[in-house]
Amino acid sequence: MKMEIMLFWTAVGLYGISTFSYIFGLISKNEKLFSIGLYTAFIGLVPHTIVIALRWSATGISPFISISESITLGIFMTVLIFLIFQFSTKKVQPLGVLVMPIAFVLLGWAGTLMKEVATSLVPALQSAWIWVHIIGASTGFASVLIAAGLGLMLLIKERKSGGIYDKLPEPQVLDNLSYRYVAAGFIMYGLMIVSGAFWANQVKGSYWNWDPVEVWSLISWLIYGIYLHLRITFGWRGRRLAWYALIAVVVMIVSYWGIPFGVETFHQGFRIEH
Amino acid sequence: MNLFSVIRKIYKFLSSVKLAMVLLITILACCVAGVTIWRGAEAGRLIFGTLWFNGILSLLVVNVAFCFFPRMWGRRLTLVSFGMILFHLSFVAILGGIVFNSLFYFRGTIRISEGETLSSGDPESYDFIDHGHYFSFSKLKGETTFVRMHPHYKVDGEDKRAAYEIEVGEGFGKKHKVIYITNSLDYNGFRYLNDREGYSILVILYDKLGKELYGVYAPLQSLKRQNGSYLYTTGTRFTPESYPFPQPPAKPIFNLQVTYLPSKLNERDGEAFFQIFPLNEGDKREEVKVIAEGKAAVGDEFDAGEYRISVREVSYWVAMNVRYEPGKPIVLTSLWIGFGGIVITFIGRIRRVKK
Repeated sequence: MKMEIMLFWTAVGLYGISTFSYIFGLISKNEKLFSIGLYTAFIGLVPHTIVIALRWSATGISPFISISESITLGIFMTVLIFLIFQFSTKKVQPLGVLVMPIAFVLLGWAGTLMKEVATSLVPALQSAWIWVHIIGASTGFASVLIAAGLGLMLLIKERKSGGIYDKLPEPQVLDNLSYRYVAAGFIMYGLMIVSGAFWANQVKGSYWNWDPVEVWSLISWLIYGIYLHLRITFGWRGRRLAWYALIAVVVMIVSYWGIPFGVETFHQGFRIEH
Repeated sequence: MNLFSVIRKIYKFLSSVKLAMVLLITILACCVAGVTIWRGAEAGRLIFGTLWFNGILSLLVVNVAFCFFPRMWGRRLTLVSFGMILFHLSFVAILGGIVFNSLFYFRGTIRISEGETLSSGDPESYDFIDHGHYFSFSKLKGETTFVRMHPHYKVDGEDKRAAYEIEVGEGFGKKHKVIYITNSLDYNGFRYLNDREGYSILVILYDKLGKELYGVYAPLQSLKRQNGSYLYTTGTRFTPESYPFPQPPAKPIFNLQVTYLPSKLNERDGEAFFQIFPLNEGDKREEVKVIAEGKAAVGDEFDAGEYRISVREVSYWVAMNVRYEPGKPIVLTSLWIGFGGIVITFIGRIRRVKK
């Protein structure tokens, strides 16, 4: 088996262990399992990083083009930001209950779609805008997924008490943290859309074509724009916004990797035709 | 009801935050429908390209202006309010840019063969033209020349695949540039962008003794086959077809279909496969018998009985998008201003919480 494949599935396996540690930790109210989950996610990030580095060094072409590469990067960013958040604040121990299962499932799915590294980059992708676009998309996804995780923590905190639940921050703190991550996600999606518009303008001469991927990006952005309006203008707080963040992240996953890659789009054209 | 109360009601309606929310949700629903129920061109025809959808987008911008700016009037300027002003102002500027653009834009597709020069301002030079009400063709000055195709053009070691060397303009002010997919040519506010390209072959007809009778450039179609490879042949965008040869106004003798088989070793080299059909106007090609068929290398002659045919040289034709969009810089600049506004607002809110 190739080293790259072996390391990839090692990362998936470690994220799997992390996932079940978090889930069983929540069920059994065992804090130690959360720590195991956190450290396994940290160890899993090592082969995950090496896989990206290996693919990159193999041809010198950035490995973020195909759907499996896109998911791999999105999950890498998610786990990285999740770990930074956890190690820097140590406030919300069970946060991985939502983040790690999604990371595990999506990375596993990416593994089934993985192909050989591209030997050449299509000319349309030979643009500096791609970097801004990719960073915006992957960081935006990581932010809103963590926001949804914080929303879930808020819902748990409001319904349960005692033991590990008492160690969770107050609902208002969780609500504020979730809001900040949504705002950060909204900014990063904004960056993704703006850079995408400049990229399309460079390549096609028009900044917006109502292409399915563009529309799905707009949908994601509007969903979080509505979230921010509900909070700032209409004063929504707490449970309602936590549910909103959870539902929104499902739409995000669909809009990011679900439907757009299954239909004929501008992005597909970039990969195949030019 | 007097005029004042009518104006007040209109103002109240346009400055409602609830209207903003309704419009956002409506746009969101339309977008979801446009990528699920209807897709692609159908979604464009039924939703994104319609007057009512663009009306909703415009109403949102008007609503944003009415809703936001009067509320901000007289307030102390903070980092948060400054960011929000920038963000909301960018919406209004984007709409302004789009409206301005729609009045003066020009979009055209110019198809041109290697070595050919066409008048830029002549509508006949374009396959497709779309322009705003106030666009004047006098803005399109000079000529467009397709100097040469550069296949597998490399820039800093990166393969740009197809690059077109073109010359645009008039007199001493002509601009000369090699354009490829991420590098267009700008002349007098007009952008020339790569679109698509194909082979063009020079077909020569000889008599039995080898005397040259006729010659014509025939543009070839690139038809994608099931195995992913391409067939370069005479015909339409969808299917290979023969055409009367020689072409009118000369008197046609037979129908000819030529397929070019490029050499893998040398650019513009290879073989041509000729098929000759009887000249029966109105007949489908499949229904008529082939009179003669065979291969010959580029430059060599194919013996077709009474006549000889050859592909003397292989060149290229290209289609370029020509765009003039004076409102676009406003839109693109506003996008960054709006983005900057969100970032400033976010920083301001974090600082406010910390205080």
